[in-house]
Amino acid sequence: MTRAAAAVGRIDWTVVGLVVVLGAVSVINLHSTSMATGTTVYLRHLYWLVIGLGVMAAVAAIDYRNLQRLAPAFYGTVVLLLALVLAVGKEVNGSRRWLDLGFVGFQPSELAKLAIILTLASWFQRVPRPGGYTLRDLIPVALLLGVPMFLVLQEPDLGHTLMLLFIGGSMLAYERFEKRAMLSVLLVTVFSAPLIWSFVLRDYQKDRVLTLLDGKADMHGAGWHARQARVAVGSGGLVGKGHGDGTQVAGGFLPENHTDFVFAHLAEEHGFLGAALVLGIYLFLILAALRSAVQARDKFGGHVAVGVGALIFWHVVMNIGMVLNMLPVTGVTLPLMSYGGTSVLTVMAALGLLLNINLRRTVF
Amino acid sequence: MSDVYLDSSAVGYRARARRLTLVAVGAFAVLFLRLGHLQLLEGDELEAASTRNFVRTVVLPADRGTIYDRKGRVLAINRPSFDLYVTPAQVKDLDGLIAGLRDVLELDELDLVRLRERIEEPRGMWRFRAIRIERDIDRKRVAVAESLRARVDGLSIRVRYQRDYPEGRVGAHLVGYLGKPTAQELEKDVEERYRADSMLGRFGLERRFESVLAGRDGFERYVVDARGARQDDGWGERAMAAIQSARPPERGHDITLTVDIDVQRILHEALADYESGSAVVIDPRDGTVRGILSKPAFDPNLWSGRLTPEHKREVDESPYHPMLDKSVHAYFPGSVYKVVTALAALEEGVLDPEEPIESPGSYEYGNRTFHCHKRSGHGSVDLNGAMAASADVYFYKLGETMGIDTLARYARRFGFGERPGLGINGEQSGTVPTRAHHEANTKGGFQHGLALSTAIGQGDVRTSPLQIALAFGALANGGTLFRARVVDHIRTEDGRVVSRYDSKPVGTLEADEEHILAVNRSLERAVNDPELATGHLAAVAGGRVAGKTGTAQVRKIVRGHMRQAVNRFQDRDHAWFAAFAPYEAPKLVVVVFLEHGGSGGKDAAPVARRIIEAYHQRIEQVFTTTARNEAKPR
Repeated sequence: MTRAAAAVGRIDWTVVGLVVVLGAVSVINLHSTSMATGTTVYLRHLYWLVIGLGVMAAVAAIDYRNLQRLAPAFYGTVVLLLALVLAVGKEVNGSRRWLDLGFVGFQPSELAKLAIILTLASWFQRVPRPGGYTLRDLIPVALLLGVPMFLVLQEPDLGHTLMLLFIGGSMLAYERFEKRAMLSVLLVTVFSAPLIWSFVLRDYQKDRVLTLLDGKADMHGAGWHARQARVAVGSGGLVGKGHGDGTQVAGGFLPENHTDFVFAHLAEEHGFLGAALVLGIYLFLILAALRSAVQARDKFGGHVAVGVGALIFWHVVMNIGMVLNMLPVTGVTLPLMSYGGTSVLTVMAALGLLLNINLRRTVF
Repeated sequence: MSDVYLDSSAVGYRARARRLTLVAVGAFAVLFLRLGHLQLLEGDELEAASTRNFVRTVVLPADRGTIYDRKGRVLAINRPSFDLYVTPAQVKDLDGLIAGLRDVLELDELDLVRLRERIEEPRGMWRFRAIRIERDIDRKRVAVAESLRARVDGLSIRVRYQRDYPEGRVGAHLVGYLGKPTAQELEKDVEERYRADSMLGRFGLERRFESVLAGRDGFERYVVDARGARQDDGWGERAMAAIQSARPPERGHDITLTVDIDVQRILHEALADYESGSAVVIDPRDGTVRGILSKPAFDPNLWSGRLTPEHKREVDESPYHPMLDKSVHAYFPGSVYKVVTALAALEEGVLDPEEPIESPGSYEYGNRTFHCHKRSGHGSVDLNGAMAASADVYFYKLGETMGIDTLARYARRFGFGERPGLGINGEQSGTVPTRAHHEANTKGGFQHGLALSTAIGQGDVRTSPLQIALAFGALANGGTLFRARVVDHIRTEDGRVVSRYDSKPVGTLEADEEHILAVNRSLERAVNDPELATGHLAAVAGGRVAGKTGTAQVRKIVRGHMRQAVNRFQDRDHAWFAAFAPYEAPKLVVVVFLEHGGSGGKDAAPVARRIIEAYHQRIEQVFTTTARNEAKPR
């Protein structure tokens, strides 16, 4: 009993508190979408958040070193699911990203992010190189990262493919490498970029990048979305148009305002103050993750914390960068703010891992 | 305590975590700055873009003012016009719609294919924009279209104003026409009075009085969602509260002119036999314009937004410059200008009107020979005889005596060299040549011989028909030069007079009454002298007309080739006749100008006579009964 009470006292309540605040903001925000569309999307999002808090608590409760042992099995399962989604996934807008479980849809690519975090962290723990990792060490890392990336790219889902790459890359950046290995990674990146442009990206994906570079939005499809997001954000001004009075949302001019472009919705109705508050919460969570990393008990814990921080960081940067017309349009969600069950549960599980590591840290 | 992790390498992890922290903080700083830039710096601009998204503005076009003649008859008016539109997004049964439109518009197969393409072509948001299928359909078709509209979706009929000119080509230059604004005009239109489909005055009085006639468009605004559906409740109502919802249109003012439609028609009929020219009728007592015409004319009904390729080609290919208003364009006046020389000589004291002067067929001056239009000459003539016969040498001698600058001084008193004040169609001031003018513009500079050409209205003299009319008006009224007055008053829709244009003297001839009378007497002789009168074809039964012919040489006369047969239109002489009537108490001045029309006496004078006679019969009895009885029957 005392141990449990002590554990509760050691939980990072600031993180929990900020997650609850973020959840509350997102429910309020989605309530406005519900008013405009006559749906109950905000209620369903609330349910997912509550379930997500349960998942977070559950993940935080089990000692993460036990989770480490499950990592290979989890990785294997996720790879199977990713293969399965290509075979029997539900096709929406020309891509197969969803597994239909009957009562609910489910995206294996979301789980892939957690699998990558746990697997890479576990690999770094098992293969210590105090003098720095070599070029040869990168081969297994590349394979572990490459297989799910390849499968996700086939869906196709460029956003999540990049997300896996960025999370993996961030975790590598937390490790020490020999100079030669670092140089090689750099060269491979530079030389593979044009090849990726020519052979991997599809035309519509290239268009989105070009649209951004052009500055002239094509007034259909992605360019239209981006333009309307910019209009929504800018027209919010300092304090916003008020709850339910965002004309871009209510009039339906801002597409996907409850999912990918939810931040534009928030910025329109609650202005710079509301948008900056949410941006601040994300930054705090990322810094908390990096702090937990250096305080972690072992390498596995440290890397998982970095991975969770990277997951939040890249989601936020790619999503808000897109909304603010700085990055191309990719279907990357905004953690906890975007409506979507799988996304909420994934982020909550990741935050659970963070609490878990923080709870079992060595430095107080 | 774990082992591997907390060894010396912990320092490295801490350093790398710090670096990652910096990267994260840096990236977020960029996001914060961008957010602030969009919301705080670009906020106003993007808010305007947001407003454009949800606000639909329906323009309520202002009714343009009407232009009336002096008796309140319509010269230019707006009438409702019905245009047919299709909104692709609303079309449910395209085949049915096309079939229906075929009946309404009587289209052939090719038209139908094109129509189908136009409706199917738009994508995305463009499908919500209405396409104009046909403009200005007549009442019968409106009825058919209405019944079609009840059966199929996507068809709409919109009403707009169409400018109508009941007189058509008659007087088209004076009234003018309307046209769409250019891109530059729209850019400069800071008050946003015009839209791309506005019509504004492009020519004539329509242009001169654009700001008076146009009025101001009104609008109605409402809120729509992305699909174009009107939103009056909830967010739409709250969004509406922030914007001006409506402004009523302000009708333009009406203009009443001094011209008379019947006079315009008389001028039109009188010029029927000639391709190119102008005719002007003014009241010499106050400079009021009763009729003013330029030929050939264009059809203002077509030019105001319904220009057909055929009419455009007709105008473009005509050698007679239909778009040029010849009533205010300056030409060689020829002998009508001799009134200037005569009055100048009398005022300067170099001429006794009764003293006969030898006027042979040519005059040697310096190393040049100046010819008379009549090679045999006129013998010895006084002023009456010289004016009647248009004896050139008589006036060469006067020009030689006075010099070009003295002639110019008197010419200016007649209003030459100044715009006559109509203010339309690039009204020209003409040219009053002086010594300085020739020094600057003539090859070889000024030569005294130029004074001789000037004295008979050649050389560099240029005057417009309207200027000649006002100059003869000044002679007829005893010496007062008036500004041309064509607008009587401007009033609002409810009849309140906004401005009234009274007649305005701009100067006098500054001449002795006797001298003006002497000139006028000679002009009377130029029409009525039984032997000498070059203008005898202008004489009317039942009244006395005074006037002067002018046959202005356009082609430079080469020695020995004078009076050669000229076939080319452009080489023929300009024919002029300027007259006032009745001689005893002038009530009207008539000027006829026939561009390359031949001879002043043979061509222009009879036209002037027909105008004067028709005016007397159909407009106002200008000749008194007494005068009638005195006149010999013709």
